[in-house]
Amino acid sequence: MRTRGRDGPGVLGRAIRGQWRLVAAGSVLAAGHQAGEALVPVLVGVIIDRAVGPGDGGELLRWCLVLAGVHTALSLCFRYGIRFGERSAELAGHAVRMELTARVLHPRGGAGTGRLPGELTNVATSDAQRVGRVTMAVSAALAALTGLVVSAVALLRVSLPLGLLVLVGVPVLLGLTHLLGRPLQRRSAAEQERAAHASGVAADLVAGLRVLKGVGAEPAAVARYRHTSRGALTATVRAARAEAWHDGAVLAMTGLVIALVALAGGRLAARGQISVGELVAAVGLAQFLLGPLQVLAWANAELAQGRASAARVASVLTAPWGVGSGGLAPAGPVPGRVRFRAVHHDALHGVDFEAAPGELLGVVATDQAATGDLLRCLTRDTDPRAGTVELDGVPLTSLDPAWLHGAVLVAAHDADLFEGTVRENIAGTADPGRGLDAVLAASGADEVCRSLPDGAATHLTERGRSLSGGQRQRVALARALAADPPVLVLHDPTTAVDPVTEARVAHGLRAFRAGRTTILLTGSPTLLAVTDRVVLLDRGTVTDQAPHAELVTRRHDYRTAVLA
Amino acid sequence: MTPAPEPALAATVPDATGPALPAPGHAAPGGERELLPVATGARSRAVVVELLRPRRRPALVGFGVLVAATAAGMLTAPLLGRVVDAATRGSTGEITACAVALALVAVVQGAATGLGLTRIAGLGETVLADLRERFVERALHLPLEQVERAGSGDLTSRVTGDVAVVARAVRNALPELARSLLTVALTLVGLAVLDWRFLLAALLAVPVQLHTARWYARRAVPLYARQRVATGAQQQQLLDTVGGAATVRALRLADQHTERVARRSAAAVELALAGIRLVLRFYSRLHVAEYLGLVAVVASGFWLVRQDAVSIGTATAAALYVHGLFGPVNTALGLVDDAQAATAGLARLVGVADLAPPGRSPRSAAPADASVVVRGLGHAYRPGHPVLRDVTLSLAPGERVALVGASGAGKSTLARLVAGVHRPERGSVLLGGASPADLGPEVLRGTVALITQEVHVFAGRLAEDLRLARPDATDAELTEALRRVGALPWALALPEGLATVVGAGGHRLTVAQAQQLALARLLLADPPIVVLDEATAEAGSAGARTLEDAASVALEGRTALVVAHRLTQARTADRIVVLDRGRVVETGTHLELVAARGHYAALWEAWSAQR
Repeated sequence: MRTRGRDGPGVLGRAIRGQWRLVAAGSVLAAGHQAGEALVPVLVGVIIDRAVGPGDGGELLRWCLVLAGVHTALSLCFRYGIRFGERSAELAGHAVRMELTARVLHPRGGAGTGRLPGELTNVATSDAQRVGRVTMAVSAALAALTGLVVSAVALLRVSLPLGLLVLVGVPVLLGLTHLLGRPLQRRSAAEQERAAHASGVAADLVAGLRVLKGVGAEPAAVARYRHTSRGALTATVRAARAEAWHDGAVLAMTGLVIALVALAGGRLAARGQISVGELVAAVGLAQFLLGPLQVLAWANAELAQGRASAARVASVLTAPWGVGSGGLAPAGPVPGRVRFRAVHHDALHGVDFEAAPGELLGVVATDQAATGDLLRCLTRDTDPRAGTVELDGVPLTSLDPAWLHGAVLVAAHDADLFEGTVRENIAGTADPGRGLDAVLAASGADEVCRSLPDGAATHLTERGRSLSGGQRQRVALARALAADPPVLVLHDPTTAVDPVTEARVAHGLRAFRAGRTTILLTGSPTLLAVTDRVVLLDRGTVTDQAPHAELVTRRHDYRTAVLA
Repeated sequence: MTPAPEPALAATVPDATGPALPAPGHAAPGGERELLPVATGARSRAVVVELLRPRRRPALVGFGVLVAATAAGMLTAPLLGRVVDAATRGSTGEITACAVALALVAVVQGAATGLGLTRIAGLGETVLADLRERFVERALHLPLEQVERAGSGDLTSRVTGDVAVVARAVRNALPELARSLLTVALTLVGLAVLDWRFLLAALLAVPVQLHTARWYARRAVPLYARQRVATGAQQQQLLDTVGGAATVRALRLADQHTERVARRSAAAVELALAGIRLVLRFYSRLHVAEYLGLVAVVASGFWLVRQDAVSIGTATAAALYVHGLFGPVNTALGLVDDAQAATAGLARLVGVADLAPPGRSPRSAAPADASVVVRGLGHAYRPGHPVLRDVTLSLAPGERVALVGASGAGKSTLARLVAGVHRPERGSVLLGGASPADLGPEVLRGTVALITQEVHVFAGRLAEDLRLARPDATDAELTEALRRVGALPWALALPEGLATVVGAGGHRLTVAQAQQLALARLLLADPPIVVLDEATAEAGSAGARTLEDAASVALEGRTALVVAHRLTQARTADRIVVLDRGRVVETGTHLELVAARGHYAALWEAWSAQR
């Protein structure tokens, strides 16, 4: 599904077009600034010729005022030009970020397939920013070109040969420096990366501090860090040397250009072909020219990075949908009959079972891959290769994914909590019909709240990492219960919860979900004991279904699966 | 449905069982948080000087070469002035001589700058490396108790944020600042040499510049602090929303999250733009100073030429000097906030790096055997809220004891006290007859290991991760340890086997695999006493069973205290201890406790469904 304007260049084009007013205004003003900067050495030359040389005070005053005018104008152009440019960059980055967020969160999914979560976050942060920066690079490049043209005109007006010397000589020397510097810089980039790696290692060791201390590995860790740090030091010193010599080379080249201009210009002035002021202007312009040329090199690098980032953004935006769209969104209450009909998918080989409306059904799979595939089919992260999954007789594939997520809630074992208070996490999804207290009690989260400094109002950090695993699980369970969907699918909701609490949660869960369909994928006998019926999946097919107690007595493989 | 161990972000805490254990992320009420030390400005300087002292000579040489480079550059303006004068007189021979001199100056200046910057940068990097190594060494040896009191975010932000800020300053700001300041100083000298009145004229710009710098610093510091917070919040929100996209979709929270991302992103954009506006106003003011300085020098040139005090060439040289002065001045002033951030970061690094080095403990008892004796143990994280009361317990060498109880019963606290992470408030813990304090950190490390449900895979090759526990382990020993915990099949199936890079930025392992690695590390560290705190909890139920088997193997021949979630783990233990609200309520073997029909028996019935 490749849409026009969603490939890499398309993303860049839209970023610039979306901010075209700011980009245009920024370009014009920045161009004004560059032109003004180019005029300053010309004006200094004029002052020397007309005021300092003949000693004319009136001329001095007049030209100082002109200089003041130019200075004010270029200062204002700089200020507002950059301001508009930065604004366009930030707003374009924001727009890309929002577009990515919308795609990632789209009910039809698929954006995250084959990508690590950290990778997607990187695209949404640094790549979005880089795409935004391209708008800035475009206006800076336009402005630099203006500066080049103005100084070229000024130089050529002073003297054709001198002007040509400067206009050809400066880019040639600069190009030469770049050519010399490129291998150095390439190596330096690689070495900077190694330095960044050292600080990454330190952060990683600190993040695993408790684990290190648990096995007494501090001295080994310190030794490892020292080794990495020394390696990084050698690399950074090499990189710094390359950079220092590059700086030195640029400085020497600039000086040589100026010496050349002084030589040629001085001779012209000595022969009276140009004035002394014009000589000064030519020297000043030769120095100034380096600025816009370097801006162009920067803009070019920025564009290259922007293109690479845009390609990554585009690959997320155009990622194929995880599932088809369906279209049905049945009105009225959902009875909640879930049926698997001869479902084949990776680890599933013809799975057939049904959860009746209002039933509390346990599902035990002897292998984890089968559990994962069942969940993926139910949440419609994927559609089964063969067979159908139905809700109240309607295949899930023909249902609108957004509607389906409202009817069937799949609470994953590793569901994420979000930044916010415990209450916000739980009640963000709440159906106002059921009280928060009942939810907390049924999930055992009441105990979690009691142990937190501010109870349910305690603020959780990113993904609830400030809670222990057991606490997180109970808050996530409370959130699933609070959503109160017609069909609730729970995957191993209590693995990190102690057996005392687990027993309490089992009964709370049963009471809370009475009358609504609940499917429990778990290996916990405490939870299975409160189900109405258990479906046993072995090697991808249903091998038995009966109440828990019956399976325990009847089937040896079931006993091994849940009690061993 | 991939389990999501987030090694890079793992700021997890072991089970915060105690009702009052301040978990990082939310400030403990009553201001109990006690941040790690921050050095004073004087102390930071002293430490930097101390690190520089052994390298005094290269420092002086580097600085001297840089001064020479800048001084050479100062000759450019007067030489150009002489070209102007020679041109006025029509003397082409002098022009050629000056041009040759200019070329020479350029080459000398370039070479000396390259050399000087190499020296200065190399020195800065070396000092930085010394500092960060010392910091990491001290940080890793901090008592866990102290790190937890500070909140683990404190240490993490120092090792990531502050090290990066200081490194950036050393790498970019320091050489630039040195060159700018030298250029400014020598330019002023150059102006004075031309004529002292030029110097006076150029100094007219200084009050405006100083005022501007103060004005800027006052506004920039708080603004950038807010900007960093907003950018952090935006990153965090994206991590939450994009990283948790599956959950967001399942719970139909997309609109709510889109709105949050929009709000946070807009706030970050707004503050970034406010920062830009401030910088631009800063430069506008500096432009005024530039203009003042330039006009003043040009006007005094005009006046001096009219008085015949100087030639046109000299006036030109002065104008060129002053024109070249503003770039470095603006650069130096623009580095004000970088310098401030770096100073603050440095103080936080030195605060930790300055702690006492981990030395040998003066009292170093040796454990007599692998027994554990706990007598009359009481502990509270907050006064008046005891988590453990009068716990007495003893483990014979080689005995395996399971701890069972509800959340908040004090299991994890007991585990940490036995492992020597915390010092008990009341009562005593004896490992092989000696208290953890008497053993000293070094012996304690070899005596007892603590493995919690917190998983962390260290970034790097799998073999290196394992060698943290025993640096001199052979490949065969590593393979054997992996085999015994059942991790060898998947480890060998990794793209490059044991050489595969795992952890943050590498191959991602599942929670169960990471926990198997932890057990393999335990085998390699080979301590006589082991405490397992719910080490098998986070894996799904199928994974938990594999882990329990692995744990069983890893515990063979060791004295073990195991906090059990699954009762199967308790059943296979030599003895079970049931904790309730900080007290031991039942002790005995599985059969004894089932027969006693108490707490444990009720749990077992619920578990085994034998009603």
